[in-house]
Amino acid sequence: MTNGQPELMSGLSSDEAGRVLALGSRVTLASGSVLFRLGAEADGVFLIERGRITLTLPMQIGGREEDVLVDERLPGQIVGWSGLIPPHRFTLKATSPLETEVRALSRMALLDHFAAHPDVGYAVMRNLAAVIGQRLQVFQAMWLREMQRMVELRRP
Amino acid sequence: MVMFLMVLCLSMFGLAVTCLAFAAATGGIPSGVQNRVEAQPEKKPALALPKPRFFVDELPAPVAQPRVPLEVLLAQIERHVRLEQAAAESFLVSPTPQSLHSRTMSPLMH
Repeated sequence: MTNGQPELMSGLSSDEAGRVLALGSRVTLASGSVLFRLGAEADGVFLIERGRITLTLPMQIGGREEDVLVDERLPGQIVGWSGLIPPHRFTLKATSPLETEVRALSRMALLDHFAAHPDVGYAVMRNLAAVIGQRLQVFQAMWLREMQRMVELRRP
Repeated sequence: MVMFLMVLCLSMFGLAVTCLAFAAATGGIPSGVQNRVEAQPEKKPALALPKPRFFVDELPAPVAQPRVPLEVLLAQIERHVRLEQAAAESFLVSPTPQSLHSRTMSPLMH
């Protein structure tokens, strides 16, 4: 969250941000609920207002498929940006490890609003690009650290 | 006549001694002795030689690793991911080769 605003609303006035948020609806997730599943169709994004969302990917451990933590999102952050980016399929599984409130913003409602208010759409999509870019850089660094360890293991 | 027989006996004795000496020198064994040797049961060498190790086809058994319970392993993976993510975010704040390859305290790496 930046200056009290969700990361997706950074740079918008409080009125503009309020109008975007009003497009969505609040969803309360019980502890252990699945917000979305890997491979499911993504028709919107979720803004976390309270609680926590864990993002996992399946991994084979001891012959069993286990969900392994990949990322964790906190209030003010968004999950499910695949809802705004083609091909609109979730590439992770999102669950709430504790009771969590999210604001669900549908793609159609957002795109209609952005078409009517291009400056708002530009700001929101720029914020979204920043979120995606930051996560890409984090995972690049994580991947390279693992590669470095692999090289060290193979070094004679 | 007696002298002739004595010379003949000495000659035969000398010939026998020469044959034995020749056989001993060349490794041969007189036939009578050889039969006795063959009649004896074959004895195995008392000292067993070690197996040749030029081509080892039996690798030593790997040291058995203690099996980590699934819950513990999942917790270790989760801790590893959190630590690696924190290290990666720290690298993004000040991107240097040192911060990229900073050491980890992850239980999976120790």
